[in-house]
Amino acid sequence: MNISCNKKKVKQAVNIVSIKEKIQGLVVEWDTDGLKDYCRSLLKNNEESASDLLKIIGDVMKFVGDQFEEEEIFLPELIGSAETVKAAIDEVLDPAIRASGEEKETMGKVVIGTVESDVHSIGKDLVGSFLFSNGFEVYNLGVEVTADQFISKAEEVGANVIGLSSLLTMSMDFQKEVIEELKKRGLRDKYKVIVGGAPTSEDWAEKIGADGWADDAIEAVELIKRILK
Amino acid sequence: MKLKKVEVFTKDELEAIHDASMTLLSEVGIKIDAQEARDILKENGAIVDDTNYFVKFPESMVKEKLKTVPDSFKLYGPDGSFSFEVNTQQTQFGTIGTPVKIYDPSEKKGVRKTMMEDTIQQIKVVDCLENIVCSHIDVWPNDVSYITIHSECIYQWVKNTKKPYGLGCLGRLASQDMMNMASIIVGDDDELIKKPRFIGFMNPTSPLHLPVLMTNGFEIFAKYKQPTIIAPEALAGASAPVTLAGLLTQTNAEIIGSAVLSQVFNPGTPIFFGTVSHITDMRTGNSAMGSVEMGLITAGIAQLARHYNIPSRGPGAGTDSKLLDLQNGYERLQTLMLAAQAGVNYITCAGTYEATLVEALELLVIDDDLAGMVKRAIEGITVNEDTIGLDVIKKVATSDVKGVNFLAENHTRKHMKSELYMPRLANRARRSTWIKKGGIDIVQMAREKVNQILNEHQPNELDTQMEAQLKDYMKKVRERSFDDYRKAEGLMVDSVTLPDGIEIREDK
Repeated sequence: MNISCNKKKVKQAVNIVSIKEKIQGLVVEWDTDGLKDYCRSLLKNNEESASDLLKIIGDVMKFVGDQFEEEEIFLPELIGSAETVKAAIDEVLDPAIRASGEEKETMGKVVIGTVESDVHSIGKDLVGSFLFSNGFEVYNLGVEVTADQFISKAEEVGANVIGLSSLLTMSMDFQKEVIEELKKRGLRDKYKVIVGGAPTSEDWAEKIGADGWADDAIEAVELIKRILK
Repeated sequence: MKLKKVEVFTKDELEAIHDASMTLLSEVGIKIDAQEARDILKENGAIVDDTNYFVKFPESMVKEKLKTVPDSFKLYGPDGSFSFEVNTQQTQFGTIGTPVKIYDPSEKKGVRKTMMEDTIQQIKVVDCLENIVCSHIDVWPNDVSYITIHSECIYQWVKNTKKPYGLGCLGRLASQDMMNMASIIVGDDDELIKKPRFIGFMNPTSPLHLPVLMTNGFEIFAKYKQPTIIAPEALAGASAPVTLAGLLTQTNAEIIGSAVLSQVFNPGTPIFFGTVSHITDMRTGNSAMGSVEMGLITAGIAQLARHYNIPSRGPGAGTDSKLLDLQNGYERLQTLMLAAQAGVNYITCAGTYEATLVEALELLVIDDDLAGMVKRAIEGITVNEDTIGLDVIKKVATSDVKGVNFLAENHTRKHMKSELYMPRLANRARRSTWIKKGGIDIVQMAREKVNQILNEHQPNELDTQMEAQLKDYMKKVRERSFDDYRKAEGLMVDSVTLPDGIEIREDK
């Protein structure tokens, strides 16, 4: 009895290793369709549950993230992998989890966007990718996002953090506007608000009453982990 | 002869880039958010899609409209006593950047936030420099409300310099304020149009997008014929293809589309064919202004500008260093030299470091020295009978007097100042002399020069009536709210009281 049980465990472990290897291969090749199909077939044959697949994918993204930090791969490779994974999660795994009635595990929900009057997206998108790679649920609202749009989305999805980006010195004041609007609506304490972008600084964040500031995408992930503790 | 210009394209390669840009303009177009701009382009032959805001430019229209772009123009300081010419042959040097911090060795981090006092000091220092001919609102006054910065800075400009000034085309309301204040300063609109005082700054957003605020401001600058820099800041691999040829094709289309718009707004409006494009560092995602590729991109834009016979603008003295260190030094000279060798007509970013986010007045005076050196380099070697100096060589070499040399020869005295650039800051003393004089490094030397300038600088005496009018105007600007700006730019539908000269349509 015991022996057969162990054998089963060993078989399962071998399975997970091969599934992980297969997923890793698809992720680093940016094979979005391949990854979606593979996840679908695993779910269909009851080989893995959606939440277990999410964990495996999380491990793969951690591996990719580590490779990036060690400069073995570069930014486009990291982002391309993250986008591949995101498509599989959004289109296959999330619907499966919702259908099963399970609660999705997440590091936290973050609404991000570039503030009103500013159309610069790259830095903010990087933050989004890094957060996603680190297990956060990210709602990227794009550019020229008004205070109302930030707050409405945060309310809708039950966000933990609102991230405000600004590249232009002239758009920085709109970061402050979002915080003021939150206060006006009596929602300021409900969310952690963080700011970033080339002209911003720690002093600026403090001045406008934000909960934090980060200099780049890697720091932003650390910051959010810290403030959500 | 003058130094041969560095070229990055053969004739065929340049044509290939041009043709590809034309294909982009005619088949994809540029997304222009401002409806007024789309309307006027449509009236002038562009194909406009008002649902997705894309404006396509037929090649015949581009050719026709580029004909009225001037190949040279002059810029004047507030009282008109100082001026410089921008053309397709010479090289001039200016500031420009987005410094929100300034070098301050007394601070733990080595930098602190920039304040209005720093903005004023930068204007004063530029006023006293030999090679840097124009300052721009780049040292950001963090202690002034964003919506009044333009008016407060114009007041400081008229008080503290004889040189022209650069301002961003930050929306129609602020841009109209700039023109109205300049008209007060110079007497009237006609004088301002005839002798422009301001350099405008307009950044298309890559890829192929002109946002509302910049376009609105650009229209006002064009109306008053103030020369405007059109300079995309595309980042290879992020907001443009990673290949430099791809980035240049895309940004060339962005510049040409904007140039056409300037001529549609007002034929004959002077523009700079500009760039601040550089690369994305693939390890961090940060932009890298000190990269050698930025120099190549700048050289590409300079060559394209020559092809269209429009004066060019490109960054020099770019560095990503966070210190006044060797990286700062080699990156700034490398980008500066390459820009000059490529024949850029207006080289900018003097005084900045850390991708222009930080200012150092010390670097400003060092850059003035570098600009002098670079100017000398591009002059090359003049060869004629006099400069070959056969007679003087014979005379000295065959002199009966022992130990005679060229130092006290008339030939030396006649040519030394034009042949040899004499740096103001680079130290060439013998070690013992250098030690006797304090043994200080170039940054300290530069600081002393800055202090000397600031101590000796005399503000301009302003006409009392003009000053009172300016102060009244500034008061009006201070009384405006954020929403007034939103309304003026069509970001919010409502009526608003605006300064003279603006008509707002509520059609957004």
